[in-house]
Amino acid sequence: MALILEGLGKHFENSEEATLHEINLTIETGEFVCIVGQSGCGKSTLLNLVAGLDKPTSGKIILDGEEITGPGADRVVMFQEHGLYPWLNVIDNVKFGMKLAGIPNDVQEEKAMHYLKMVHLEEYKDYPIHQISGGMRQRTALARALTLDSKVLLMDEPFSALDKQTSNILREELQNIWQETKRTILFITHSVEEAVYLSDRIVALSPDTGKIAGLVPVTMPRPRHVYAPEFVEMRHQILEIVRGKTI
Amino acid sequence: MSIIIFVVILIAAWQFFYWLSVDMLELCKSYAVPSPIGVAERFADLLSDGSLLKATGNSLLRGIAGFAIAVIIGVIIGLLINHFNYLQKNLKPIVLGVQTLPSVCWVPFSILWFGLSTKAILFVVIMGSAFSIAISVDNAIKNILPIYTKAALTMGANKKQLYTYVIFPASLPELVSGLKQGWSFAWRALMAGEVMTTSIGLGQTLIMGRDLADINQVMLVMLVIVIVGIIIDKCIFSVIEKRLLKKRGLAA
Repeated sequence: MALILEGLGKHFENSEEATLHEINLTIETGEFVCIVGQSGCGKSTLLNLVAGLDKPTSGKIILDGEEITGPGADRVVMFQEHGLYPWLNVIDNVKFGMKLAGIPNDVQEEKAMHYLKMVHLEEYKDYPIHQISGGMRQRTALARALTLDSKVLLMDEPFSALDKQTSNILREELQNIWQETKRTILFITHSVEEAVYLSDRIVALSPDTGKIAGLVPVTMPRPRHVYAPEFVEMRHQILEIVRGKTI
Repeated sequence: MSIIIFVVILIAAWQFFYWLSVDMLELCKSYAVPSPIGVAERFADLLSDGSLLKATGNSLLRGIAGFAIAVIIGVIIGLLINHFNYLQKNLKPIVLGVQTLPSVCWVPFSILWFGLSTKAILFVVIMGSAFSIAISVDNAIKNILPIYTKAALTMGANKKQLYTYVIFPASLPELVSGLKQGWSFAWRALMAGEVMTTSIGLGQTLIMGRDLADINQVMLVMLVIVIVGIIIDKCIFSVIEKRLLKKRGLAA
């Protein structure tokens, strides 16, 4: 039992309707869960609540028995725009979270190199951020997030600003890394294909009501093939839920 | 290189107009119009007796001291305004308003409070630049991309770490531009302060030129003030600014 969302709701002051209604969800340790939904369905709001960057108007979030009250290193977020610091080079960005935690320098170095190798960036460790490509920036951000050994890794459409080819490569690598490191991942995306490819379970949000419209386990063995008939069928099924045709 | 040629042309034009208006057509009196040669002569005089160097040195020291204090005060006010919503709403408009006051306006106060002393000059310098620095500090912090702080918070940063590792480096390029502007205000305010006292400095040398009806000396001091301003801007602030931007891939 890792992350529990209990009757979670969010109503922004300036909007008429609530963005999120009564979200109940339990994410097990080591599970890869994707939240899919069209833009404006509240998926990013949900992630912000779990990250502690925003406060829910109702319900609560419990991580390993403790209620979440604010942001913390046990729930590192990887954002759509990398969020790397342009005044630091690649490796110093990767070390950043460890530096905050006061981890000794030699351990920082060792861990940073370990994860940089994992994302295939060890040769770029001394590069300034502005000299590496968008895909490399997201790899750096991923390495930075992995170094913190957080209980849950929150990913807010991390690949959606990249071109299709890069994003496909990165999701494949993310899957390998997840299998290797056995992290718990909560992944937000608007791409149903990405969700079916990556997750153990898909949480589909309905387009305008801010509720969970469907919880679909994905049992296909990995690696999955986007053109396999069962993949195509599942993708279709989830797309219908997301679009609001079946409730 | 092109700027050197341009300046030479400018000086030649200046000499030509002096010759035309004073010597040829006798439209102007020679005591009212400076000439390049006259200025050069005064420059040689004041340089050889060491007074120009001393005046420039004194002014620079005062400018730097006043600016340093203004930075400390400005940064503190800027951080407070940025941090407390109440001050942001209520104090910032006032600071913005006071910032528009020409620094000469502080002269009466400074004389009443500190007499005709170096302290009085420093007071004018500080009042002339601290508020502009405070506004720049607040703006520099406000303009940081929200994702920088968000990312740090989700990596477990506390308030102190947020300021030292994120807010300070992220706002640094804009902060340096703010300091550059603050310096130019300080330098201008310094002259406003110096012309009122008799302690040796560029402002006082300028006034002495006026008192002796020596227009060439007045012109010379004005040129020195401009040149010192340019040197500090180009050799210190612009260099730091460019280096910071280049490191972040933002320089052209």
